Amino acid sequence: MRKNSFYLIVGCIALALLAVFWYSVEHHIRFITEAAFMVAIVLIWFIRTNVTDIIEDERTTRITEQAAVRTFQLFWVILCAFSIGAVMQILYIPSFPQEHFANATSRPPVILGPRLMGFFQLFLLCLMIFLYVGFRIYYARKYGDWETDEE
Amino acid sequence: MKNKIKVFRAMHDMTQEDLAQVTGVTRQTILAIEKGKYVPSLDLAFRIARTFNVTIEDVFQYEAAAPITVGID
Repeated sequence: MRKNSFYLIVGCIALALLAVFWYSVEHHIRFITEAAFMVAIVLIWFIRTNVTDIIEDERTTRITEQAAVRTFQLFWVILCAFSIGAVMQILYIPSFPQEHFANATSRPPVILGPRLMGFFQLFLLCLMIFLYVGFRIYYARKYGDWETDEE
Repeated sequence: MKNKIKVFRAMHDMTQEDLAQVTGVTRQTILAIEKGKYVPSLDLAFRIARTFNVTIEDVFQYEAAAPITVGID
């Protein structure tokens, strides 16, 4: 199979996934989207093994590695900084005598509740996808992915 | 890292696509190496040189980025 056919099939699978997602949301059936996503990944992997053209080599592997490492480096700093603050808020235990906390105002105000913290961490996970795409574009450009030639 | 891949390709009447197929990489990688955007691994450098039946030094010329000088006051 040629690589263009492969990319075409991947596009069709993505469209099918979108349709499944829409159906799943309309009928409130979460399981369908989850199962479809896993099936799609396995399907793409299987089709990819049958591609005869070279679509991955040491340069593309390097681009992927560099983008992944940079994403991880940035992501763990952001996530840890947030998580440390969240854990400190959850584990807030007064260590001073109770008389000191006689006034109700001594406890710091809750900015993010545990539920919102969870959602914010989910948002950070989604942010990682965009970070990865950004870094991938940067390194692809750096290693000449969009260079053109007279040939 | 400078290279003479383009010259050797012309001598052997090979296109970037031909060289890419022989060495097992994408055409974009050959183009990136020719333009100096990507420095190939030693393994790929050997494969390219052997495709042209020459040594690595004939194809690739190393250039130090900046000479290291130690100042003594």
